[in-house]
Parts: sequence; C-alpha cells; structure tokens
Amino acid sequence: MVRFWADQDNLRIPEGNTVKITRSGSLAAVALVGTLALAGCAASSDSGSSASPSASADTTVPYPKIDSSLAGTITAGGSSAQANAETAWATAFKGLGASGVTVNYDKSLGSGGGVTNWLAGSDDFVGSDAALKPDQYTKAAALCTTGKPVNLPAYLSGVALVYNLAGVKGLNLSTEVISKIFTLQIKTWNDPAIAAINAGTTLPATAITVVTRSDGSGTTANFTKYMHDTEPTIFTAAPSNAWPVPGTSGQQGGSGVVAAVTAGAGTIGYADQSSVGTLSAAKIQVGTGKDFVAYSAAGATAAFTAAATTAAQGAGDLTQVLDYSKVTDKSAYAIPLLSYVITCTVHKDATQGKLVTSYLGFVESTTGQAVASKNAGSAPLPDSILKEAQTTIATIK
Amino acid sequence: MLIMVILAAVAIFLIVQSLPAIVANWQTGDLAGGTTAGNTSFWGYVLPLVWGTIFVSAIALVIGAPIAIGIALFISHYAPRRLAGILGYLVDLLAAVPSVVFGLWGIFVIRPFLLPLEHWLNANLGWFPPFGGAASSTGSTILAGAVVLAVMILPIITAISREIFLQTPRLHEEAALALGATKWELIRLAVFPYARSGVVSAILLGLGRALGETMAIALIISPSLIFSLLVLTDTQNSQTIAANLALNFPESNTLQRQALIGTGLMLFVISLAVNFAARSIIARTGPGAGGKKRKKDSQAKVGIVLVPGETPIFVADTALSATDPGSPGDRAVRERKS
Repeated sequence: MVRFWADQDNLRIPEGNTVKITRSGSLAAVALVGTLALAGCAASSDSGSSASPSASADTTVPYPKIDSSLAGTITAGGSSAQANAETAWATAFKGLGASGVTVNYDKSLGSGGGVTNWLAGSDDFVGSDAALKPDQYTKAAALCTTGKPVNLPAYLSGVALVYNLAGVKGLNLSTEVISKIFTLQIKTWNDPAIAAINAGTTLPATAITVVTRSDGSGTTANFTKYMHDTEPTIFTAAPSNAWPVPGTSGQQGGSGVVAAVTAGAGTIGYADQSSVGTLSAAKIQVGTGKDFVAYSAAGATAAFTAAATTAAQGAGDLTQVLDYSKVTDKSAYAIPLLSYVITCTVHKDATQGKLVTSYLGFVESTTGQAVASKNAGSAPLPDSILKEAQTTIATIK
Repeated sequence: MLIMVILAAVAIFLIVQSLPAIVANWQTGDLAGGTTAGNTSFWGYVLPLVWGTIFVSAIALVIGAPIAIGIALFISHYAPRRLAGILGYLVDLLAAVPSVVFGLWGIFVIRPFLLPLEHWLNANLGWFPPFGGAASSTGSTILAGAVVLAVMILPIITAISREIFLQTPRLHEEAALALGATKWELIRLAVFPYARSGVVSAILLGLGRALGETMAIALIISPSLIFSLLVLTDTQNSQTIAANLALNFPESNTLQRQALIGTGLMLFVISLAVNFAARSIIARTGPGAGGKKRKKDSQAKVGIVLVPGETPIFVADTALSATDPGSPGDRAVRERKS
C-alpha cells in the first residue's frame, strides 16, 4: 500500500488518505510528518481509489504519498521569484521520504529563459511568472506529444512598494497615485494628490526618484499589469517584463532596487515583498473606499481568491486571469504576484513523470504551501486552486 | 592561425545567430514587446548601446590609465625594493577579484561615497555638459560605474607597464644619469620612449577589459537606451552592450535573444576595431616602438642627440632584448653631434 499510487497506471490520488498528517506546516515538522505519512498510509488501506471527499479534506489539501523508492534528478529552472520556495520545497520533499530525489532548480535563467529551455526539451518543468502565451502553448503542445502542457499556480506573493523618505512612515497610496508616480507625472512628495490621501502626515518637498528593474522581470510584469489594468488612462504602456517608462532609475534584481531605494533620498521602488528587508512599504488602497492595506500573506491570498479566475488553455490547464477590480475588500492586498510551474502531462520518460508528479503534488499541497510560506515568505494559495492542481497532477505521467 | 580560425568561427556564429533579428520587423511581433520594446529597427536599438559602451570605457580609461601608469612607475623606479614587491603583489591581486564583487562594492561603497562629489560637481560645474542634468539621489551614475571600472582595469595596465618599465636597459638609464638628468628627466628621457608602445598596448588591453565588462556595470549603473553625455544622473545614463546583455538575456524570448546576440556582434566588431587601431598606432610610433615585427637579433641602439643648449634627447631604437645590457649597449651609446 505504501507504493500504492506509484504502481498504478491510473494515478488518481485517494483524497483524505493522508489527511491526518498534512496540517503541520513548518519545515521543522517535516521529519515528523514523514513518519506519520507511512503510518497513516498503512492504517487507511481500506480507502482504495474511491477518492471519497472526507470531512477534513475541506480545509487541507494533502499531497500524494511520496514513494521512498523514488530516485533520480528533476531538472528545472526559471523564475527567480520562486527560487527560494523551490529550495524549501526540494529540501522538505527529501525530508518527507523522497531522499533519493534531487531537484536542480536553476534560477539564473529567469522566467523567459526557463520557458525557452523547457520548450527546447531540456527541463522537466519550468517556474514562470507568466503563464504560457498562446503561441508558446502551441509549441508546448507539440513538445508534450500525447499529453498537454499545463500551467499550475504554485507561488503567491505580493509586489511591495518600498520608499525611503525621511520622517515618513506608513505612507498611503492609491492606484491612481501609484500609476502617476511610476509614469513620472507626480514629481515631488508633497504633491496634493499624495497629501490628500495622507492626512496628518507632513510630506517634504523632496523630488521623487522612481527606482525600477533594469533587467527583465516577472515582478515588473505583474506590477505593470496591475497599473495598466487599474489605471489604463494613466499607465498607458503595455504590461511588459521590461520596465516600459523611460526616465527612472533602473537597478538589477529586487535586491538592487532595495539597495538603491535604501541609499537614495525620496526614492520609491517595487520589489517582491520577500526581499524588502527593513525598508518601509506603502499601504495600498483597495476598492474605492478609504481602506489602505499593508502587505500580509493572508492579504495576498485573499486578493488571489477574489481576483483570480481560471482561463484554461487546454485540458487540465490552470492559467489564471487576475481581475484587479474585484479586489475591494480590506482584507486583501491590492498587488498579488503569482508564479506558475509549467510542465507536460505526459513525460517522455515514465520515471521522470513519476518524479515530477510526486514533487509537484507536494508543491501543490497545503503542507507544501506552508513550507514555502515559512521558508520563502510567500503567501499560501487557496485550497480551491490547490485541489484543482492536484486533479491535474494526478493525470501527469 | 588557430586564433584566426577561432575568431572567424565566433564571427560566423554571431552573424548566423543574430541575422533573424537584424532583418526582422521591429514594429510588430516579439521584438515590439518585452526587453526590446520601443525600437524601430535593430540599428535604433544597438547604436545607443555602442555609444554607451565606448563612452563608459573611455571615461574609465581617462580615470584609470594615468593612475595605473603612475603606480607602475612608482613600483618600478621609486619604491624601495621590498615595498615595490608588496605593492606589485597587491595590485596583481586586484585582478583576481570577481567582477560581481566589484559590482557589489560599487553599490554599497562607491555609490554613496561619490554622492557628495557628484552633487558638488552638478551644482558648481553643471555648465560642463557631462555634469549637467538632474543629479542622482541614489548614486547609480555613469561616474560611479566608470570609477569602479577604472579600478578594475588598473591591475592590467599596471602589471604590463611595470614589467616594461623594468625592462628599460640599465645602460640607457645610466647614460641619462651620467648626462646629469634628474630622476624625472631620466624617466622622461630613457623610460618613456622605450616603453611607449608597451604602455599603449597595456592601455588597449585595459580598454578591452572595460569594453567587455558586464556585471559591475549592470549592478551599478541605472541604464537607459539613449545617447547621453551625462555622467551624474540616474535617469539619462547610456547603457553598455555587455551589461544590457546580462540584464535582458534571461527574460528574453528567442527573437529577442537573437537581437541581443546581434548587439554582441557589434561588441565583437568594436573590439576588433580597437585592436587594429592599437596595432596601427604601435606600428606608427617609429623609433622606440618595440614591436614584435622587428628583427629579434637587432642590437640595441641608443642615440643621444645633443643639441647645444637643449635637453639631451634619447633615441632608443630597439627591440631590446636586454639579455646582456652591458656589452652591446656600451658600443651602442654614441654621441652624435648635430
């Protein structure tokens, strides 16, 4: 029974099979979880492949049982945003029983390079800050032969707006002001538009230095899309992974942005919230009211739940479309950052298929999300999307 | 010969890889978006980069080369022997520092360090075009990048110049001293003419390093794809080819990568042009040019031109092997009366 799912051609995961063991989240608990997993498995041998939804499966999404006899190397690469999470997942995955599996995730490629490599057939899966575009999906379909390419949301975080302005803490920003600052229409910090939403804060007349990414970046893609969708008349440039507005201070990497914002005076920039460090991050307006919300993991999850709808490009695909106008509740953080894992449902090598199924199954579980949250500062994806992902992953071979 | 084959192979690779992007339509499709957005043609994309590459390297050279030659001279002719050894070793060590370390040093040390100077230059010398514009508040400027670049090319120029200065024939120096030259005159009369071509080569090697430098520039300078003379701003800095490649390669798709390889081809052309220019300069420097083309067996010949009432002029005509600086030189030194 321990090798139950790996031996079957039909890899449906019996839900509820490992329910007891998936509540604990931290990496520290991983070893314990591992032992429980085996015990739980042996105890519930009667559940078979009925996939009956059990009561506690409503709040957690378990990962498919990890076969300790699995051995091999998963080659992957892509998005640097999810690199820390990939490291945490790979470590936890080993700790949970797949001690023979090595995951080599190459973040130096970036999302674009990762997809290019994967389309050339050299990687098992790719981490990408954007889902496959239609033309890429067509190419990928050819790569996947009898299977389908699938985009699976795996990593959720937020784009933080960091600033360095002497004496100002807890800055409030609205989508309109953000778009005007980042298109260089608002040039000084004491602009009436900023003052209007920051009553009680004394804003200096310092000139605003806008700090952006000089390298192509998924963070830029998410952030420009947010501004273009919410304020299309102000931020007219098309969303892009390269910063589209000339006249800003461009820095390499999220850490480069953070370093430049820290060093400058009157600077503002954007970065994945996990790289913000000690800088002040602005509170961002949600909805049309006076709700200004600071980043929190729960806020990013709430925003994703409200805004995301699945726009499948093919069977099993979970490409998400974010409608920012639906993020109106004050429990939500306005600028979520979503990153995918992309793979084929049929792998050329059946062993690789099993490795990928098992690993991604872990990534797309409540435990996997908790591991990333704890170790990489990401926000957990909602259970509903994890369940859909598990359904897709069960078909991967 | 092998080198020629390798060079040709590199050139062919670059041309074949970049051709689709060079001839592609830049107004629509892949090249109109992402990392290559906003350009009407390949040349519109690459020419600002070519300018930026040459501009930043030239500033680095202007800052770095005199300092490097000064250090080399100090080590070879002024410093006590023990100090010279240690100093030479330290400068050589600079060459072993990875460029990403220089880049981080630039971000966290040089950028803040130069900020007050940059603001002063901008406020007081802003009428001089490169110092104009809106001064940076983050320090992410061409000047900061060029200063770090100057430090990076320092060991190359210093090491080669030092070796060449040290090879100045003892006899030339002694002859100069015998004529009553001071130390500085000795250097001007005996060392510089002898070392001229070697120092030019050293500087051009340094330039080669500067042209191709990637990570330090990518980390330090805030780039824009424009033709700009400004060195003190955040927002109007020219960008170099190598840094642009490093920044944009990962997130580019196939056609955009081909465009980037096309910029690499341009860098290759620039480097070749610089080398050919260097060779022609060395070939034309005439006496004192110790080019390799000269016959190896030629004897050292030094003419001292003495014009009454003027400083004695050394004419060092040599591929000076300096194997035995004593005997052949003795014969070679001769006085010419004009």
